[in-house]
Amino acid sequence: MIKHHPKFELLQSFVDGDLPASLSAAVAIHADMCAQCQKKIALLTDQIAETSFEENFLDRFIVDDEAVDTIDFDKMIEGITESSDIDISETKVKKSIEFANKTYNLPTVLNNIILGKTAHIGKLSRTRLELQEDEIHTSLLHIEPGGGVPQHTHKGFELTLLLDGSFHDEHGEYVKGDFIMLDGSHTHNPISAEGCLCYTVANDALHFTQGINKLLNPIGAFIY
Amino acid sequence: MQTNLLSRVTSDKPIHMSEKINHPQLCAWLSAVANTRDKVSFTHLFKFFGPKIQSIARGKFPNEAQANEVVQETMSNVWRKAHLFDKDKGAATTWVYTVMRNVTFDMLRKIKGNKEDNLSDDIWPLAESMVCESESFDDHLENKQLLSVLEQLPEAQQAVVKGFYFMEMSQEQLAVHLNLPLGTIKSRLRLALSKLKVQLGEDND
Repeated sequence: MIKHHPKFELLQSFVDGDLPASLSAAVAIHADMCAQCQKKIALLTDQIAETSFEENFLDRFIVDDEAVDTIDFDKMIEGITESSDIDISETKVKKSIEFANKTYNLPTVLNNIILGKTAHIGKLSRTRLELQEDEIHTSLLHIEPGGGVPQHTHKGFELTLLLDGSFHDEHGEYVKGDFIMLDGSHTHNPISAEGCLCYTVANDALHFTQGINKLLNPIGAFIY
Repeated sequence: MQTNLLSRVTSDKPIHMSEKINHPQLCAWLSAVANTRDKVSFTHLFKFFGPKIQSIARGKFPNEAQANEVVQETMSNVWRKAHLFDKDKGAATTWVYTVMRNVTFDMLRKIKGNKEDNLSDDIWPLAESMVCESESFDDHLENKQLLSVLEQLPEAQQAVVKGFYFMEMSQEQLAVHLNLPLGTIKSRLRLALSKLKVQLGEDND
């Protein structure tokens, strides 16, 4: 069962359209797997829509707003309705991806995001999602059975959304659909016994904390 | 597995609907646009939503032209996609809000990073998605990996390998195409393949 959800503020920003694409996609993927969050999002959307389009009491007193004059609504209406074309919604294609000879179906949310090259280190494989969001890096991270990421912390935030399989760390077991947001105050050492595929978003390299693992800090950069 | 955020909502009519908005009326107009391409109803919708969208967009975009573009884009999507609105699944305001938010999101992304990937309708679908067909993310491991290794070969050898394996030209065709003796094509191909073998490992043949 899914135990980890986006917190309220994140859902709110998601609905407002204020999150970067990487995190928006993550919330959407999670909500597709989580009826509870889906319902919250629907409620928030109804509410924001309602308040956005309410006749504002104050509006009636704004008589001449110059800006409103800069746009010729009648002309716009005419232009739009000139064509009777409708948009036929395309059928959504289900895309899949292969890691370590296993095929995974990808969430359709990711359909139009370009995938970069896949890089491998030991039991980890990472495919970059080319979202071009500066310091925010988004990837698909695959861990083969028995693999893991050495004890590390985060300088920024690290979101892990489990798309398939499971992993565990000091804090417990995580399953498909879990939305795990960590920041610099967390240290963990995730291990996947059966293997897993994660959607990850991070805004800084991971930082390995323990003794010999410090030598692995290049892996931190690899995962980020 | 894929479901639509908007569609799950409704059975339990969620929030208290404001008295300030005539929901049944908006819904009727939107349905008339969807069913009969009714311009009068569209004009009513435009008069209701247009100015509000404009003032919201002015809060998000630095200049007036961009705010107007949001109005233009949102309302043309309403015109062209009204058939995707399902009155049993939610309010007209919610649907138009989704259209506006999506237009805004794609435009902001375009302005910030010059990205024109229009991801919003994947993130916030306007309607329940239809049957899914399957498609693999075009052989991402093999081809991409192969390509990156290929790029390390000298240009002359690259051309031969790409022509032979990717464009499926025969060695004879390649000789004509590249204006080279057949023997040169053959030796370049052999040379390239032996290098690739080293790079990719013996079991990739």
